[in-house]
Amino acid sequence: MGTATPVEVFVPFRKGLPPLRKYWSTLWKRRSFIAEYSRTQLHEQHFDSVFGQIWLILNPLLLSGVYFVLIVIIGGHSDKMRYGHLTACLFLFYLMANTLSGGVKSVTSGQRLILNTAFPRLMLPISASVVAFFRFLPTIFIFLILRTILGLPIGWNMLWSIPIVLIAILFSSGVAILISCINVYFRDIANFLPYFTRMLLYLSPILWETSAIKPQLRKVELVNPLFPLLDSWSRAVVHAQAPHLTSMLISLAWAVLVFTFGTYFFLVREREFAVRV
Amino acid sequence: MSNSLHKPGEIAVSVQHLGLTYTTTIDKRPTLKARLKTMGRGTKQTRVVRALDDVMLDVAYGSVLGVVGANGAGKSTLMRVISGILPPSQGRVEVYGKVSTLLALGVGFSPSLSGRANVYLGGLAAGMSSQEIENHFEEIADFAELGDAIDAPMRTYSSGMYARLAFSVAVTVRPDILIVDEALSTGDARFKEKSLEKIKELRSDARALILVSHALGTVRDICNEVAWLHKGKLIQRGKPDEVVDAYASFLQVGKSAAINEDV
Ligand SMILES: Nc1ncnc2c1ncn2[C@@H]1O[C@H](COP(=O)(O)OP(=O)(O)O)[C@@H](O)[C@H]1O
Ligand SMILES: [Mg+2]
Repeated sequence: MGTATPVEVFVPFRKGLPPLRKYWSTLWKRRSFIAEYSRTQLHEQHFDSVFGQIWLILNPLLLSGVYFVLIVIIGGHSDKMRYGHLTACLFLFYLMANTLSGGVKSVTSGQRLILNTAFPRLMLPISASVVAFFRFLPTIFIFLILRTILGLPIGWNMLWSIPIVLIAILFSSGVAILISCINVYFRDIANFLPYFTRMLLYLSPILWETSAIKPQLRKVELVNPLFPLLDSWSRAVVHAQAPHLTSMLISLAWAVLVFTFGTYFFLVREREFAVRV
Repeated sequence: MSNSLHKPGEIAVSVQHLGLTYTTTIDKRPTLKARLKTMGRGTKQTRVVRALDDVMLDVAYGSVLGVVGANGAGKSTLMRVISGILPPSQGRVEVYGKVSTLLALGVGFSPSLSGRANVYLGGLAAGMSSQEIENHFEEIADFAELGDAIDAPMRTYSSGMYARLAFSVAVTVRPDILIVDEALSTGDARFKEKSLEKIKELRSDARALILVSHALGTVRDICNEVAWLHKGKLIQRGKPDEVVDAYASFLQVGKSAAINEDV
């Protein structure tokens, strides 16, 4: 009896991070779960039907129309650049907002699975990010059509949009991971989230362009991580210009910081989820 | 599934001085609002439930361990610790083999999805490959006898249908150490019979079985050993007849003492 070595030993866990290498390899092995779970969720949201797709596109498109009319009424000057900016930024913003709204309850709604299956919990918010990304894809095509109709400039600089989207995904996944964890301890975070995203929408250069901002209000730029990101995005996809390098670096730094912090926060606590959900 | 051969009598699971505490809030849902409201008052919002307390137990290969106890005794919690879902609060659990990491109750985690999708997702989450699930799916669906209902959302299932699917999943995936938690007791008489047959069939020298059940007759019939848990403590373990008799008479007494019972 004494000769056998246990395959697995479970003891009270020490505070801090779980063994990262092992965690990563189990997470990697579960990648088909992430793919399949995202797929079923998309199916549930009728992503794979024509009307489901139309709805996904219609929502931000209508919103950008409403805001555009609003801007005209308020008396700001409105032109096709402005409309392109508004639409492009709303689409990217929706990618991030959808990641957060899908992610925030990902852990608490997976309660049953968490209580009965051993798996890296990080899979749940990651699946939410994947879903949000797929919902973002059709809006890219709509924007391409729209910008052709509007006759916006075209150029290689538009390719900057790829790293920008990657940064946006990294950033919003980081926040999603963080808030999905916080939501285990405070279940009403999910209720506060819409107010938070709405506020972020108004404080970001979406309804207005960076160039239009009063110098006294420039400080917003320093505290809102979306500021340099959306500015770069607008330059690249609307104006076909290269974004400022500093803006890109600042957004990347924010994204890495938030993602690292969110993941650390999550990993330190995830072993406790099963006794908390 | 695993071809590492385990000799009968060899230890499969060793549970040593195991303790586990759940932390729950007094309100149903812990919220920030509630926390902010009570912050000034300094009242504690959390309630601590000691679900397992100094439990000592081991299971050998080739044996079937029955676990009995009233609702809330900590049976499911013990199973969760053994399958590595809950880290212990105190003590140590050693597992010598591949344990089922998908407890039957995990099936149906998403009520809006079909039974099929739930089985797939549950299996993938537990670390099975889609090929493995594919191979087993037919068998699972056949055994559960759900017919077309397998593609209906699980929220439309009756508790019996639910239990059938859960049981089928638990017994079709064949780890070295198999845990079946209460999936036996629901279902109609015929299905009960059938599941009993299945369990008997699964008893093998190279496997350890842990069976949580309220069906005392079954436990008496197929287990080699029975453990009785009550309020997180191991009250008694030993020969099935002795322990089941003791537990049954406790339930009789308990009836008058208004203890939560369920057979
Ligand atoms: N997720 C949970 N959070 C808080 N308390 C729990 C949780 N699960 C179980 N408990 C508590 O732990 C105790 C043991 O529960 P459980 O292991 O499910 O019992 P059994 O399976 O024997 O009916 C009960 O008092 C129950 O209320
Ligand atoms: Mg139970």
